Amino acid sequence: MALTGRAPGGPDAPPGTLGSRLPVPATTAGDALAEAVVVPNTLWTPADPAAYGGVPVDEAPSLALKRYDASGEGRRNDGRWGALDIVPTKADYVLDLIRMNSLWPLLSGLACCAFEMMSMSTSRHDIDRWGMFPFRASPRQADVLIVAGTLTTKMAEPLVRLWEEMPEPKWCVAMGDCTCSGGRYKRSYSTIQGIDRVLPVDVYVPGCPPRPEGLIYGMMKLQQLVRQRRGHWPERNVGPTVPEGI
Amino acid sequence: MTTPTRPSLDDPALAIPVEHAGIFEPIPVPRTEREREFYDLKDGELLLNMGPHHPSTHGVLRVVLKINGEQIVDVDPVLGYLHRGAEKICENADYHQVISQVDPLEYISALFNEWGAVLSFEKLLDVEVPRRAEYIRVLAGELNRVASHMLFLGFYALDLGGITPILWSFAERDEIMEALAALTGQKLLFNYFRIGGVNGDLNHEFLSRVGDWMSRAGTHLEDGMTLLNENEIFVRRTRGIGVIDRETALRMCVSGANLRASGVPFDLRRAHPYSVYPELDFDIPTRAEGDSLARYLLRFDEVKQSLRIIDQCLHEMPDGPVMAKLPRLLRPRPGRAFSSVEAPRGQYSTYVVSDGTDQPFRMRIHDASFLHLEILGLLMPGTLVQDIMVVMSSLDPVMGGVDK
Repeated sequence: MALTGRAPGGPDAPPGTLGSRLPVPATTAGDALAEAVVVPNTLWTPADPAAYGGVPVDEAPSLALKRYDASGEGRRNDGRWGALDIVPTKADYVLDLIRMNSLWPLLSGLACCAFEMMSMSTSRHDIDRWGMFPFRASPRQADVLIVAGTLTTKMAEPLVRLWEEMPEPKWCVAMGDCTCSGGRYKRSYSTIQGIDRVLPVDVYVPGCPPRPEGLIYGMMKLQQLVRQRRGHWPERNVGPTVPEGI
Repeated sequence: MTTPTRPSLDDPALAIPVEHAGIFEPIPVPRTEREREFYDLKDGELLLNMGPHHPSTHGVLRVVLKINGEQIVDVDPVLGYLHRGAEKICENADYHQVISQVDPLEYISALFNEWGAVLSFEKLLDVEVPRRAEYIRVLAGELNRVASHMLFLGFYALDLGGITPILWSFAERDEIMEALAALTGQKLLFNYFRIGGVNGDLNHEFLSRVGDWMSRAGTHLEDGMTLLNENEIFVRRTRGIGVIDRETALRMCVSGANLRASGVPFDLRRAHPYSVYPELDFDIPTRAEGDSLARYLLRFDEVKQSLRIIDQCLHEMPDGPVMAKLPRLLRPRPGRAFSSVEAPRGQYSTYVVSDGTDQPFRMRIHDASFLHLEILGLLMPGTLVQDIMVVMSSLDPVMGGVDK
């Protein structure tokens, strides 16, 4: 066994010292320990908020109606005698109610959490009861991306492509510790430490894995968020900018 | 008036940037001889990409199919979409922490991951496990096996286009998982086995849930068998598809239910007995056909045997402690140990090298699903595109175990 050539310490170290923890097997000749190779973190940067649409949030073109509403001009009577081309109504609020009560998640199970996600949609925890249809297989027909399971660097590119293929409006739910912050793979060399580095997340559901009830609670929070227009999508014209190097 | 010129692909301004090459170019530059052979298309052949996001690939597996019309010419599984570096993490965790780190590998049957790790550590440390702990391990493990097989039955039907069975099988699986959650405290990744025993003794909620479920399990299993076993469409799509004969199965290191469906009665619980399996009475079901239908039906037989084992464990549960007396900080002497358990997907092996510290020097984890994916390259050529789902799903791979 290539375990000879150890630094002092090991099992024979005097009790009570840390010496027995420190030594590592020598990898180079002459018992010299190799220098640690430090790789600077150039790949992963948090997504730039200004990148959503390329302009500051307040100037986003998709918020024109909202700004117009806030300015109070629309509440003048100009619309009555044709001084305006558009008449703002409360139709958006009705649309939000419709969106909130027919969420169609994308079937995107990546790892362990996928089974709790499927458990949420089957007989025991039947999410049909709250207006969430169990899973579309095509991103073109889905409006919620539930990222269930560890996102690895290799899977990041396909997942971001899926996200960009989904039509607006769309929302993203991070399910599980791995997707929220890295979780138990915080120290792994091949995972992404939280999917908010590559996707704009609306709801985080922690747990390893969260129970289906936890995910249902998260989805209900998402419904609340859709109704109150607090998600990411009103500020967003196009999909998020992907950091270089994925 | 000038004629507009058509854009040329040779124009450097229109060239695909290097960083997008993987997105827009379906055919990568071949790096090995095998890739050169695979990506060299003959007349009438084309490449079809399946995954990594595909509802039927059981996780994030990507399979590149080379097809000629409707016929599959060659198959190239692309792995690594769920590589999480578990072995490296295990080498940086101490022996107790490793148990929780191996949990998410084969995540449908997490108890067997722990069992493999714990068995090898116990060999390394020369620990004797109390008999009650062994019985509890067998009981919990067999419950997990039933839950895993039940999931397979539902997913297999789902991959073939049937929705109803998965609703039934998830109802069954959730009941077992709730019982195990009462025992272990966690629902999917249990983190229950310990070096020298288990984390906690049986409790009232677990026993009442298991007793309740056992009173109905046999009936539910019979109900599940009535769903598809005589369904003409199902049988026609699976019988004679993906036949693994006995010699091929042994040569390609197939194990578990897939091997027994090819007529080899090899089960680690009998062949290399561990825990208290020698004391328990159960059979090793086999089937001779070796096709997808046989693999599907064999899981039902295995569930029946598991129910027998659970029944015996509940009746013959001995009294006593559930943990051996061990120091909190474990430092096994330098050496190596190997252990294998019969997981629902086949042989799950753990090989651990100790250097005398409280962390493993090397931890090698071997999962059967990896080898089962390899056999796709032998089974698929010559079959039709619709059969890839049938065959791959009947092998029941779990990508967490394949990619680690």
